[in-house]
Amino acid sequence: MTKIPLELKNIRKVFQDGEQEVEILHDLNFQAIKGELIAILGPSGSGKSTLLSIAGALLSPDGGEMIVNGENIANYNDKQKADVRLHSIGYIFQASNLVPYLKVKDQLKLVADLAGSWNKETQQRADELLKSVGLAHRANHYVQHLSGGEKQRVAIARSLMNNPDIILADEPTASLDSERSSEIVALIAKEVKEKNKAAVMVTHDESILSYCDKIYEMKNGQLTLRTTLKTTLKTTLRTT
Amino acid sequence: MFSLSLKEIRFFKLRYSLIGFIMFFVAALVFIISGLANGLSSDNASSIQNMNAHAFYLDKDADNRLDRSRFDEKVLSDIKDNKNLQAVGLQMLSLKEVDSDKKVDVSMMGIDPNSFLMPKVTEGSTIKSSKGPTIVADDSLKKQGIEIGDKLYEENSDITYTVVGFTEKQTFSHTPVAFVNKESWENLFPSKQKVSYNTIVIKDANKDLQEDVSSTIKDGVWAEKGDVIKGIPGYDAEQKSLFMMLAFLIVIAVFVLTAFFYIMTIQKVNQFGVLKAIGAKNGFLIGSTIIQVIILSIVSIGAAIGFAAILQAIMPKGIPFVFDFGVILIYSGVLFIVSIFGALLSSASIVKADPLQAMGRAE
Repeated sequence: MTKIPLELKNIRKVFQDGEQEVEILHDLNFQAIKGELIAILGPSGSGKSTLLSIAGALLSPDGGEMIVNGENIANYNDKQKADVRLHSIGYIFQASNLVPYLKVKDQLKLVADLAGSWNKETQQRADELLKSVGLAHRANHYVQHLSGGEKQRVAIARSLMNNPDIILADEPTASLDSERSSEIVALIAKEVKEKNKAAVMVTHDESILSYCDKIYEMKNGQLTLRTTLKTTLKTTLRTT
Repeated sequence: MFSLSLKEIRFFKLRYSLIGFIMFFVAALVFIISGLANGLSSDNASSIQNMNAHAFYLDKDADNRLDRSRFDEKVLSDIKDNKNLQAVGLQMLSLKEVDSDKKVDVSMMGIDPNSFLMPKVTEGSTIKSSKGPTIVADDSLKKQGIEIGDKLYEENSDITYTVVGFTEKQTFSHTPVAFVNKESWENLFPSKQKVSYNTIVIKDANKDLQEDVSSTIKDGVWAEKGDVIKGIPGYDAEQKSLFMMLAFLIVIAVFVLTAFFYIMTIQKVNQFGVLKAIGAKNGFLIGSTIIQVIILSIVSIGAAIGFAAILQAIMPKGIPFVFDFGVILIYSGVLFIVSIFGALLSSASIVKADPLQAMGRAE
């Protein structure tokens, strides 16, 4: 398996705004490496979410290559993209977006069912995942009885259920308080390291950046790597 | 897919049971009306429906109406003895019960009691000429207080009949049929008037014999059993108006169910978007919606069938309600297809649900 499960090459995305064409992503290049949690920062409207949608096979780019596990999926049809999403990508949404009528355990079962792989092995994995996000005792509760933080933990477990190589998180802490936010991001970082996944997180919450291995900023339709003393220091401190 | 559908129904009990109840009541109403149509039809025409006959030879100008057709007895004499052909006389009469002076309406039918036309006597004995004018009547006459041994008086001909037996499911134009033999029938006519019969009945299809009758007896046509039933006064009007109600009910069911499923799907569009974002395909989502509709339909229509069966048992005897399982199964099938169709119409919005909605959307 390649060490780079997700790679974007010369990605271009244009939106039609009335008469005008707005180029929201311009010749963008990006790589996500296994075992790294990458944060993407940027002001609203800078194209962060568009980038994540393209990376998540929800949107097709207008140009460039979008390589998942060595395959260019830029021109896949809807059904093929759904398969890529199901097997290779795990999502964590801003609002946890769980299925309201399923118990916590069934949330994970659903994802396995979609992939047609609900068996003893995946059943065990579901139990382990719930344990590792600290929700084993909530397995048989409905989502409506969970707190915001707990819902987001379920979403993290769900994103890992089909054992994807890529984890994408779209402002996972937006609806949480700061304490809960760092817990959740810490959890994502832990899972990414433990399970050796490539993770990309879009956020504008500076306080959680300390958990991230790389920080990119979105500007003029392109990503630039931010290297500040603070983050470098923190990364060094954490790794030692 | 199946367990997901069941779990959703279990979680949103109220929502689904509301739709289930609508389906149940529509189905129950369809069954009740079809039961009534059935009951009325047999109340109106059972003597013809149950008659061991293939076709009826009627007057050309009679419009397939038994009561309008007339053949002189003399004309009929040529064919009298054939085992496959029988003359039938039919007349609506009011008879007076001798003891109580109460009047009852009957359709008097003059037949040869030894022929294929004589129905099975379920109570008492059959018509015997040795005992004077005797009647075997439909058992609905019992509801009017008539019993075996009662005497019924006919004013015009001044004949008193004795009820000797009962048969069942023999009514004509909503009145019980009273079977008499040909002798009694012919005595109904005053001595100056020609004796006549209404029709000639053929038991089994026989082209040669039928053509033979047509050439011997002029000015007549062969009418199929179904056409003769439709010719019974009021029969067609009754059945058609009930059928119209049924047709409208089913059209209403189409719209109500489609609207409900549509609203429910619209409400879940975001949900579908999220499920698509995590990799669910259209087929899966449409499939699980259809499974829900199938579960709902089977439960509701099944309950309605049970309800109609119970209704049949507890319905007062006066209401003509006949539960015909075959017919009810057909209507069940129609309702089932209607609800699946309604659900399929809303699957367009499932296909349109955008997985991008899941991104950056607050719950």
